Amino acid sequence: MPPFDELLLAVVLLLLAAATLFDRHLVRACCWFVTFALAVALSWAWLGLVWLALLELVLGAVLTGAFLFHALGVMPTATQPRGLLTHWHDPVALPWQRVLMRLFPALAVLAMLGLALMEVSSGSGSLRPAGMGLLGLGLWAFALHHHLLRRLLSFNVIGTGIFLILMSLVDSRALAVAHGLVVTGLAVALLGTALGALLIRRLEALEASHHVVYRTNGRPT
Amino acid sequence: MIERLGLSPAATPMENEAALWLVLVLPLLLGVLGAIARPSRTWPVAVAGLLPLLALGWLSSQVAGTTGKSGVVELGDLVLYWRVNGLTLLLLLLTYLIGLASALYAPAYLRDDVQALTWGQAWFWPLLGLLISSLALIWLAADLLSLYIGLELMGLTAVGLMLLPGKVEALVAGLRYLLLALVGSLAFLLGISLMLGAWGRLDLAGLAEVAEPGVLLWVAVGLLTGGLMLKAAAFPLHVWLVPVHAWAWIPVSAIHAGLVIKASFFIALQLWLLLVPEATVAAWMIGGLAGAAVVWGGVKAWRSAKLKEVVAWSTVSQLGYLLLAFPLLIGTDAAVADLAWQGTWLQLAAHGLAKAAMFLAAGNLILATGAARVEGLAGASRRFPLSLLSFGMAAISVVGLPPSMGFTAKWLLLHAALSGGHWAWMMVLAVGTLLSAAYVFRLFHYSFIEDAPEAEFRRVPWPMETVALLLALAALLLGLAAEWPLTLLRGAGDEP
Repeated sequence: MPPFDELLLAVVLLLLAAATLFDRHLVRACCWFVTFALAVALSWAWLGLVWLALLELVLGAVLTGAFLFHALGVMPTATQPRGLLTHWHDPVALPWQRVLMRLFPALAVLAMLGLALMEVSSGSGSLRPAGMGLLGLGLWAFALHHHLLRRLLSFNVIGTGIFLILMSLVDSRALAVAHGLVVTGLAVALLGTALGALLIRRLEALEASHHVVYRTNGRPT
Repeated sequence: MIERLGLSPAATPMENEAALWLVLVLPLLLGVLGAIARPSRTWPVAVAGLLPLLALGWLSSQVAGTTGKSGVVELGDLVLYWRVNGLTLLLLLLTYLIGLASALYAPAYLRDDVQALTWGQAWFWPLLGLLISSLALIWLAADLLSLYIGLELMGLTAVGLMLLPGKVEALVAGLRYLLLALVGSLAFLLGISLMLGAWGRLDLAGLAEVAEPGVLLWVAVGLLTGGLMLKAAAFPLHVWLVPVHAWAWIPVSAIHAGLVIKASFFIALQLWLLLVPEATVAAWMIGGLAGAAVVWGGVKAWRSAKLKEVVAWSTVSQLGYLLLAFPLLIGTDAAVADLAWQGTWLQLAAHGLAKAAMFLAAGNLILATGAARVEGLAGASRRFPLSLLSFGMAAISVVGLPPSMGFTAKWLLLHAALSGGHWAWMMVLAVGTLLSAAYVFRLFHYSFIEDAPEAEFRRVPWPMETVALLLALAALLLGLAAEWPLTLLRGAGDEP
């Protein structure tokens, strides 16, 4: 039976991730994401991985959050989002055929991962189930949403889930390599989010000058 | 296979590692220099581009006469592994040549064909340098962490380069590429995490020793392969490739089709040879996908309306030949594997050179005619024979006609399939050749139309013509000198 506070941390992480991914209000979803990243930093610190906690705080919470809000056009001076993402509540229809088609690979990945993890000797506490949960939530959201910003959010959540699984798997000998992997992964997530955010803004500027609507799902409407 | 990949313990450490670092870092430094200097002429680029080749010469002089060198880089507790052997040197040389060709093509292209957008032009050089450096890292790395770093650097840089045109279509295609690249990198990271958790190490030679067949190994290799195949645009996962190339700058397309997608293929093949060398059935499944890639890519290239789309679809098709390496190398006997080994790397080099030359020549034709569509080529044979000649010579290598390098490579692959009795793969090679001949001759059919209406034609700057011509000549004539890369490949550890 894992200690109570660890269990609590895992549940909080999962709840925050779910709020990030399924809140229909985009700005609020980004706020949830920053909270989620702070909670992740807290759990690294709680596990004694101070460097990872600091990195997660700087790269994950502050910088990624800044780029997300930049994509929304929310500045400290202007809190109203402009242009492309003016739909605060972005409407997402759920065509079940497509959902099933996209969910199948996600479920297959989860099932494969579950099988593989059963092979490995049982690791510590509730970190691994939390990681699996985040992975599942993220994959679900990635399959469901068409909106670029939501996909970037779910990409970040999936990445965090993988880091949690990774840290629950390694023993002390491989800790340095695991740190290297997580740091690289964090940097990649940040750069990917930054590129995506800049792209959204650029498309928005082009749209304003051409009077055509290029939705972020890639098809002009 | 461990010996051939230069990962055996027989490889000795190197006395002086300066050459290695120079080979890795020099392209990036030159790229930064390029951003500051913004060369608008060709000769400064040519002078600067010789420096990495000199560094590579120094490195190969240190490796010469041995089966290869290997070593470690220690950063505190973190240990990274590298190795150099004949194969690595060949791939490094190919990377530098294609990179140099792109760089030489760029000044005139950016001046003449691309209007305005100075920020994009400033970013071109450092990103190109970073791309070449990350490719060098991928060829040299011998552990999964370095490979992951190299792969991500390469992927993000490639996305950045694809976005430089700044047009809406380029941005929308680049967006799709970005998302798929991110998905691929997540799958790759998950696969590595599983391996690290199960065996506690990431160096390739060590993993090959300790990895035990089982569900975990299969899931990990499956995730790694899936991620890599997505980045390599292998058959069912190729949808992002053509729209991205249709709008990218010409020198970017050349280096992307010539090298970037092959780096993912290289990592995947390396992992399979080391970790699951007996997985015959899975390798045959990849072979099936290879066949589908060859046929589907060829048919789509034949039917494409735009010149660049023809070249891009032909990349999908030609990648199928490379994927044939999986069924021909895994679970086959030594003689077949030997032939397939040489054929695969020669095909990689031949296609890299030929496809880069083809993109550059296509860029010249598009610049001259001002038309992106295939019909716009009407009358090209009379008005700009030089561009058409470059395109034709590159096409000969892509189709695989003698005396090109593509012919030698396909001959070796065919020989391997024949001596192993793999009739299916022979069929794939034959059908692929017919299809590539079909789409190439369709282009020439348009260009030899004589009664085309006179239209405005632009003159192509001579550096662009020369670079395309030289690269196409290399792809064509290196088939006659194929013995040299083959010795390099054989020297990679057959006789210790």
